Amino acid sequence: MSIQNLNTFDPFADAIKSSEDDVQDGLVHVRIQQRNGRKTLTTVQGLSSEYDLKKIVRACKKEFACNGTVVEHSEYGEVLQLQGDQRENICQWLIKSGLVKPEQLKVHGF
Amino acid sequence: MDEDMIFDPSLKKKKKKKTGFDMDAALAGETGESTSVEAPAETGDVDVPEDDNLDLDNFGKKKKKKKKTFFNLEELENTLPETPPTEEPEQQEDEAVDDLDLNIDFTNARKKKKKKNIDEFVLEDDTKGEDQENADDQHGVWVGSDRDYTYDELLERVFDIMREKNPSMVSGKKQKFIMRPPQVVRIGTKKTSFANFTEICKTLHRQPKHLLDFLLAELGTSGSVDGNSQLIIKGRFQQKQIENVLRRYIKEYVTCHTCRSPDTILQKDTRLFFLQCETCGSRCSVASIKSGFQAVTGKRAAIRAKNV
Repeated sequence: MSIQNLNTFDPFADAIKSSEDDVQDGLVHVRIQQRNGRKTLTTVQGLSSEYDLKKIVRACKKEFACNGTVVEHSEYGEVLQLQGDQRENICQWLIKSGLVKPEQLKVHGF
Repeated sequence: MDEDMIFDPSLKKKKKKKTGFDMDAALAGETGESTSVEAPAETGDVDVPEDDNLDLDNFGKKKKKKKKTFFNLEELENTLPETPPTEEPEQQEDEAVDDLDLNIDFTNARKKKKKKNIDEFVLEDDTKGEDQENADDQHGVWVGSDRDYTYDELLERVFDIMREKNPSMVSGKKQKFIMRPPQVVRIGTKKTSFANFTEICKTLHRQPKHLLDFLLAELGTSGSVDGNSQLIIKGRFQQKQIENVLRRYIKEYVTCHTCRSPDTILQKDTRLFFLQCETCGSRCSVASIKSGFQAVTGKRAAIRAKNV
């Protein structure tokens, strides 16, 4: 039996952990933008910077057969851009690859 | 994931082959097809080639998206007669319907609804009266005697009181939130007009500015309210799409997150928006509206000229 007072228990451990993957901050926003004609653009904002976005975009381009790029933004960090309406595709892909949890995904647009 | 990437081109090839095969099959068994259009592919005793015909018919009829046809083709490739591919899309549709079922009706027929509601009220009034009579009877039973109450009696009494106080809850009917559908008209080729924008704001009891901010952020465009109190949005949008966005708005900013009642007030408190429910009294913060990242879709040269 151990004396509880002497246990090294960090009461803030949870707080520190949750601040990292906070639901609000950890959200991945998938948006759609209209371009000229019936063309559209899909943007994915909020992917963790730990991942190599260039590799992700390379895989996505191949998977969805579309072009894409990584854009650096001062406020939102690195943002993924894909040609066409890839919202469904990218959501499924991100979940399948385990990069993002389903509850972290937020799809915008119509 | 690497394996899947190799998947795509091969699938396409298969599709081409299959379409060729379709034609052959169709030519071979024209009579069989014409009869089988009516009957779905549920008959298990049919031979394999005929089954193929049936499946093809079905997906020709449905006109589903490409993905689904891929599924079908894969199944055809394997020639599994036991698994009728008709079920998959239907299930998906059901799910979609469930997702959209937010108790929000964009109904055109307002008058009819009103009539119905009146009927319901009448019915409820009738039942109320009966309940009260019952309750009176039971009260009478208890008042005289000194005995213990049985569980059933108490349960009944509780339910009677509940029915009396709010009849809609016990009967299991969810209060439906009925509003007019948004009137969305295209102006020219590049703009869309949301004609009854202010009207919808009024029915939702929300500031037009708030809804405007949300719509524009969600659609990722720009727009403004013009003199006729209609909203002009840049870009082509259909009524369905606007409805979807409105549904999301209602879910997030109108209905109470606890009891889902639409009877709420949106307050701004120290830079945060709070949703105060009038029915259950709950108060919770709602997400702020952010348009987020906007990619450059216009002419870059024009932007550069503006900046310099």
